[in-house]
Amino acid sequence: MQRHFVRTAIALLLASGLSSMAATVPAGTQLAAKQELTRNNGSEPDTLDPALAQGAPANNVLRDLFEGLTAIDSAGKVVPGVAESWKQTNATTWVFKLRRDAKWSNGDALNADDFIYALQRFVDPKTASEYAASFGIFLLNGKEIVGGKMPPSALGVKAQDKFTLEIQTPYPVSFLPELVSNTQLGPVHRATLEKFGKEWTKPANMVNNGAFVMQDWQVNSKIVLAKNPRYWDAKNVQISKNTYLSVDDSNADVKLFESGENDWVNQLPPGSFEKYKAQYPKEIRNTPMLGLRYYSLNVADPLLKDLRVRKALSMVIDRDTLAQKVTADGQLPAYGVIVKGTIGANVTRYDWALWPMEKRVAEAKQLLAQAGVQPGTKVKFAYNTDVYHKKMAIFAASEWKTKLGIDTELEAMEFKVLIKRRTDGEFQIARNGWIADYNDATTFLTLVQCDSEQNHQRNCNRKAEALIDQGNRSTDQSKRQALLTEASKMIMEDYPMIPLLQYTVPRLVKAYVGGYTDTNIMDRYRAKDLYIIQH
Amino acid sequence: MWSYALRRLLATLPTLLAVITVCYLLLHFTPGGPFDREHRIAPEVLANLNAKYHLDEPLWKQYLLYLNSLLHGDLGASFRYADWSVNELVAKALPVSAMVGGGSLLISLFIGVALGCVAALRQNSWVDYGVMLLGSLGSAFPSFVIGPVLILVFAVWLPWLPSGGWDAFAPRYMVLPMVLLVFINVSTIGRVMRGSMIEVLGSNYIRTARAKGLPLRTLVLRHAMKPALLPVVSLVGPLAISSITSAVVTESVFSLPGLGRLIVNGAGNRDYTLVLGLVVLITVIAVLFNLLVDLSYALLDPRIRY
Repeated sequence: MQRHFVRTAIALLLASGLSSMAATVPAGTQLAAKQELTRNNGSEPDTLDPALAQGAPANNVLRDLFEGLTAIDSAGKVVPGVAESWKQTNATTWVFKLRRDAKWSNGDALNADDFIYALQRFVDPKTASEYAASFGIFLLNGKEIVGGKMPPSALGVKAQDKFTLEIQTPYPVSFLPELVSNTQLGPVHRATLEKFGKEWTKPANMVNNGAFVMQDWQVNSKIVLAKNPRYWDAKNVQISKNTYLSVDDSNADVKLFESGENDWVNQLPPGSFEKYKAQYPKEIRNTPMLGLRYYSLNVADPLLKDLRVRKALSMVIDRDTLAQKVTADGQLPAYGVIVKGTIGANVTRYDWALWPMEKRVAEAKQLLAQAGVQPGTKVKFAYNTDVYHKKMAIFAASEWKTKLGIDTELEAMEFKVLIKRRTDGEFQIARNGWIADYNDATTFLTLVQCDSEQNHQRNCNRKAEALIDQGNRSTDQSKRQALLTEASKMIMEDYPMIPLLQYTVPRLVKAYVGGYTDTNIMDRYRAKDLYIIQH
Repeated sequence: MWSYALRRLLATLPTLLAVITVCYLLLHFTPGGPFDREHRIAPEVLANLNAKYHLDEPLWKQYLLYLNSLLHGDLGASFRYADWSVNELVAKALPVSAMVGGGSLLISLFIGVALGCVAALRQNSWVDYGVMLLGSLGSAFPSFVIGPVLILVFAVWLPWLPSGGWDAFAPRYMVLPMVLLVFINVSTIGRVMRGSMIEVLGSNYIRTARAKGLPLRTLVLRHAMKPALLPVVSLVGPLAISSITSAVVTESVFSLPGLGRLIVNGAGNRDYTLVLGLVVLITVIAVLFNLLVDLSYALLDPRIRY
C-alpha cells in the first residue's frame, strides 16, 4: 500500500515539474509592447470573496487575484500554486509543501496558517458559503462543521510547520490536488478581513496573493486588474493590465469584440456559431467542456415511473441531428451521465446508440405498447425561457410526436421557477444541465445518486450506490475507475435522465491572444498563462 | 404653493408604504428564492444562508425589519451582489442613469420643442412632413432595434465611438445611448408640441395679436409658447419614468452600469432587497416628478394657483 502512495507522489511531482509554471511563450513569438487584455466575463461576479464565490464570473476573476495550493493552467493541467509540491502520505492524508517566496500583495509573507484560517472560515456556518458543503465534504469533519455539529477548529487541516500543510480527507480523495486549485479552498489575508470586515473585497482594501491586484471595480461595467509585482512568479507574467467586462447581453458582447473593445467574447449568441465561424475563421474557438445538457425524467410520475416509457423517450431523440442541425454549435452527442474528458470513470453509451433510427423507433414503439401507453398520450415538458432551450425542446417534442405519437405540452418559465419546480419534484420532464466543479466522475454521479441534492429525478439504485461507495473507498485508481464506470452504466440503464449533449464553449478570441488552448475542458484561464502577440 | 407641495409630499407616504407592501408580498410569493440555483445548495448551507439574511424569520418580522432599516435610510444588503449594499449599488448606478436618461431628456426637450414649433409654423411644408416622419419612426422602431443599428454604423463600420461600456462619465461612452434616447423622446415631444402649437396659434388671442401687427418672433415666444408647452410639461413626468424603465433595454444594448441592469439582475435573481430598494427609489422619483410638473403648471398658466 505504502509503495503505491510513493509511486503516486513521484508521478505527481514529475507531472508538476514538467508542467509550465507561467505563460509559456513559444520561441520566435514577437510579444506586443502593450500587454493589455480585455475579456468579457459574461456577467457581474456575485462576490470577490473567495469563500463566498459560486458562479463562473466570480471564479474567473478570483483565479487571477488569488492563488490556491495548486492551479489549473491553460491546457487544463494541475500545476503548482502556492504549494511547490505535494504527496499523499496515506489513504486520507495529503501533505503540501509551500513555497517560501509566496507573498501577499502588501508584502506580508504567506504561510500554512493563512490556509488554515481560510479553510476554517470557508466551512464556518457563520460565513454561509454556498460551496461549503460541496467542497467541504472532501475535508475531514467538513460536513459536520457546515452543519453546526462541530466547531471550525475541528477541520482536518493542520500546519506541520510554517511551510507544510497537511490536509486530511474523510475517505480517499484522489483528485484533491485539483480540487484545491479552487480559490474557495485558497488562502485569505486574515488581518485584512479582521480590519475591514465585509468591506475587505473593495479595491482599496483588498490584500491578495495572485498574479494580479485589483485597480478598479465598477459594478456591472468592469473590473480592472494590474500585474502584482510582489507575486512570486511575477517575472513570468506577461499581461500588465487585465480587464474583465460584465456584459450580460451576448449580442452586445460580440459588437464590443467587433469594434475592438473586447478581445474575448464570453459566449456567442445561440444559433450564431456557423455565421461567426465563416466570418472570423482565425478567432473562432469551440472547446468541449465538462458539462452535460440533459432532461430529467421524474420517476415518481405515474406515467414515467415505468422504465419502458423512459427508455422509449430517450431512444428516439436523434442526438446527431440535435447537435448538427438544431443547436449547430459543435456540441457533442451524449448517451451517458459521464462526459468525454472526465477523470475517474469512462464514458458509457447505450447499445442502441449505434442502431439505425428505424430500429430504435420500432423498439421504442414496442416498449410503449408493452407499457400500455397509447399514441396521443400527453407529457409535460418544463424549461426556462431561453432561445437555446426552446429550440432543443421543440426538437425533442417533435421527435416524440413524429416517432411515437406522444404529444408534448411545452411549459416555458422563468429560471428560478424551473429550479423550484425541479427541486419540489413538480414536473414530468424538465430541462437540466450540469457544469463540473472539479474533474472527477463523482461530480456527474451526484446528478443520479440516491439522496443526492442534485438528483431531481428521484431515482435510486442501491446496487450502483454500493459500487460508488466501494470505488470511493479504494485507493487503486484503476479499480475505482472500473467501479464508477460500472455504477454509472447501471444507473443509466434505469433511464432516470435523457443525456443529450456535452457542452462546448463557442466564443471568439482575438488571434493575438496567446496561450489560449483547445484542451481546457474546465474553461479556466488564468491571465498569468496568457500573453498578447505583436499585431 | 409651498404648503401645497408639503401636503402632496406627505400624501405620498401612504402611497409609498402601499407600494412597498404589495411589492414585498409579490416578491416573497413568487416561486423561487435568491438561493435557488442550478447547483443546488445543501440544506445545512441553506439554513446558514437564511439565517445570515434573516430569511428564517416569519415574513411579518422580516417585513418590519425591512421597514425599520428603511426608516434609517438603509436599503439592506444585496443578495445578487454580495459585496455591496443596495445603498452602494444605487449610489453607483443612479448617476449613470441620471446622466444618460436625464441628460437625453433635457436635450430632447430643447430639440423636440424647437422642431414641434417649426413644424407647426410651417404646417404642411416639407419641414412639417420631416418632423412628422421622424416622430413616426421614433415611435415605430423599438430601442432594441435602433440601438444595435447605431452600434453597427458608428462603432463597427465607422469606428468612431465605443459600442458600449462606461468609463467614469467619459463623454464618448454616452454619445450613442443618448442619441438613441433623444431620438425616441424627440419623436414624442415633437409630435405633441406641434399639435399643441397649431392649436394655440389658431386661438382667438393669437389672432388678435397678429391683427395688432406683432412680429412672429414675439408672437410665438411671448404669447404662444407658454400655453403650448403645457401638454409637453405633462409629458415630462411619464418620460422621466420611462427613461428609467426603458433603461432596462438601453443599458443592456450599450452595457451601461445603470439602474436598468440592476432591475433586471435583481428581479431575475430574486434579490428581494435590491428590487425593493429600486421600487422605493423609482416611486420617489415618480412622485417628485409629478409634483414638479404640477408646480410648473402654475408658472406657465396664470389661471392655475395652488
